[in-house]
Amino acid sequence: MTTAFRSADRPSTPPHPRTGAALSRDLRNRGRRRLLREDALTALAWASGAAAVALYLADGGAGQFTSPSPALTAIGVVAGLIGTDLVLVMLLLAARIPLIDNAIGHDRAMAVHGKLGKPALYLILAHMVFLLLGYGMADGLNPIAEGVSMWVNLPDMWLAFISIVLFIAVVVTSLVAVRRRFPYEFWYVVHLLTYAAVLTALPHQFSVGGLFADGQWQRWYWIAFYVVVLAALLRYRIYAPLALTFRHQLTVQRVVPAGDGAVNVELTGLRLEELAGSGGRFFIWRFLAPGMWWHHHPFSLSADPVAGRVRITVRDLGRGSASLMTVKPGTKVSVSGPYGLFGHAARTRAGLVLVGSGIGITPLRAILERAEFEQGQATVILRASTPGTLYLRDEIAELCRQRGATLYELVGHRARTGNTWLPRHQTGQRLADYVANLSDSDVYVCGPDKWAESVLADAKATGLAGTQLHRERFDW
Amino acid sequence: MRARAAAAAALASAGILAAGWQAGNQVIEASSTTGVAKTGTGATGNAGAGDSTGPASGGAGSSTGTGGTGSSGGTGSSGGTAGSSGSQGSSSSASLKNGTFNGPSEDTRFGTVQVAIVVAGGKITDVKSLHLTDAERRSQMISAYAAPILRSEVLKAQSVNVDTVSGATITSDAYLTSLQGAVDAAHA
Repeated sequence: MTTAFRSADRPSTPPHPRTGAALSRDLRNRGRRRLLREDALTALAWASGAAAVALYLADGGAGQFTSPSPALTAIGVVAGLIGTDLVLVMLLLAARIPLIDNAIGHDRAMAVHGKLGKPALYLILAHMVFLLLGYGMADGLNPIAEGVSMWVNLPDMWLAFISIVLFIAVVVTSLVAVRRRFPYEFWYVVHLLTYAAVLTALPHQFSVGGLFADGQWQRWYWIAFYVVVLAALLRYRIYAPLALTFRHQLTVQRVVPAGDGAVNVELTGLRLEELAGSGGRFFIWRFLAPGMWWHHHPFSLSADPVAGRVRITVRDLGRGSASLMTVKPGTKVSVSGPYGLFGHAARTRAGLVLVGSGIGITPLRAILERAEFEQGQATVILRASTPGTLYLRDEIAELCRQRGATLYELVGHRARTGNTWLPRHQTGQRLADYVANLSDSDVYVCGPDKWAESVLADAKATGLAGTQLHRERFDW
Repeated sequence: MRARAAAAAALASAGILAAGWQAGNQVIEASSTTGVAKTGTGATGNAGAGDSTGPASGGAGSSTGTGGTGSSGGTGSSGGTAGSSGSQGSSSSASLKNGTFNGPSEDTRFGTVQVAIVVAGGKITDVKSLHLTDAERRSQMISAYAAPILRSEVLKAQSVNVDTVSGATITSDAYLTSLQGAVDAAHA
């Protein structure tokens, strides 16, 4: 492959080479600090839920459980408080806040976000049902009549009822079974309704609920929480991408073939050296051309920036990425990131194992370029069904030779039994057979879901801790 | 979740909940003591303070001084003695003494309700809400919505036998009970 991104063009050593024990100690400490952050954030998330309940207890909520109607009302209020807290936590998880991203990574943050969706909806539904029952019992009305009466007589309640419909729509379209039936864009637009749902739910919390009425200190906590979430979204979902896009002014320079069904997209821009060292962490790209701008693509750089240019390697995986095969030179590109933990910051051990399949090989190329390791401490395993899909193979081979990493290329159709991440003729072998120092290594895996899970299962069976395993999901 | 994260989460959550619980107990105690203080027996007769708000209400204007001093209640009752001789006759609730009569405080789970009636010429000319359900913001809104309806119904019917306001049953019941007490006081 002839491109300007051959590794011979730049120094192959990382900026601060460290060796042996020092490197090992640094990496372990780094891993410990990251775990501490992760645990602290986990505790904080739970504490926020407890705080939501405590707000109500502090208002004398525990005194409501003396007779049925106030008890139902109290359950409804608490459900609404926890449900809303979960929604706010979900928004924070989706806000791409560096503190969260650096601690648990983007895909795990989004996995937690996804897991909280249904509980949040159930709690908000319970909020409505229990309050209708409780208020209805107090007023001598059935829940439906109570609902109508609230819609008519109380301010902002009609907005709250609209909000709950929007929440239902957002969660239902995100259920895996439903989501598969619709195009991504449909899901995305419906998901944007989350903001409408959150905003329409807001007024009744302050005007109808007594807990957040004027003069209550709880009101200030609740407002502050909303303000923090809003500020995080504005800062990291809107300002950061715009700022990065304007800072680097990326423009497509050329598109060149890079193996079967894949291309290298090379972009020029300003101050690109600042993007160096992102390793396999991904950026979100938008190509600002007619018919393309609304697709956003998560790609990592497939090489560190060189001489005013960056490069991504893209495979035609349908939908938006097909049109990238023919993107015109001169197209402006918006970018944000880098996101995720699939980079140097996640290292915990001196050994390095990079396992990639198909187009999942490309982020490994960027990691390999800058990763710190001693000669013989790194192993690269490339996996493909056919030789043509061993993307960037030549570049990686050259990097391995320069940096003293061991390279395996495993080509062939996958095994049906046993270790299914291996080609058929290698069944029976294990990851440990390829990597001498596996137990003291970080394993980075990038490729199709099932395949990657098979690699990770193999590594776990050898006794590797979860903190040593790193995986980038390419299919979200 | 790792053990350390679980422990930290449990500890932080428990601490926050305990603090909330503790603060809540003080709130409950405080509200129960004020609750007792609120529940005085329904004072019958003329409460001067209640009367001085007269200008807001329509009918009773003649007896209450616009100056609104505390003595106005007295004026009202003295003016009324002449009228106590069943001259109006139209209503079965005859022989109401002229003046302002407070009903008893009625406790509900949403707060206390107490009303007063103003009688002039043997008729109920005004119903004043001395206290309405206010335990929650929602209760305040319900009473704000229900009280004017009840007041106009009572003035029209000249009786406590009016329909409760739907969606405000508890407030209505307490309102009419307190009203009944006020009417009884006017009869005495």
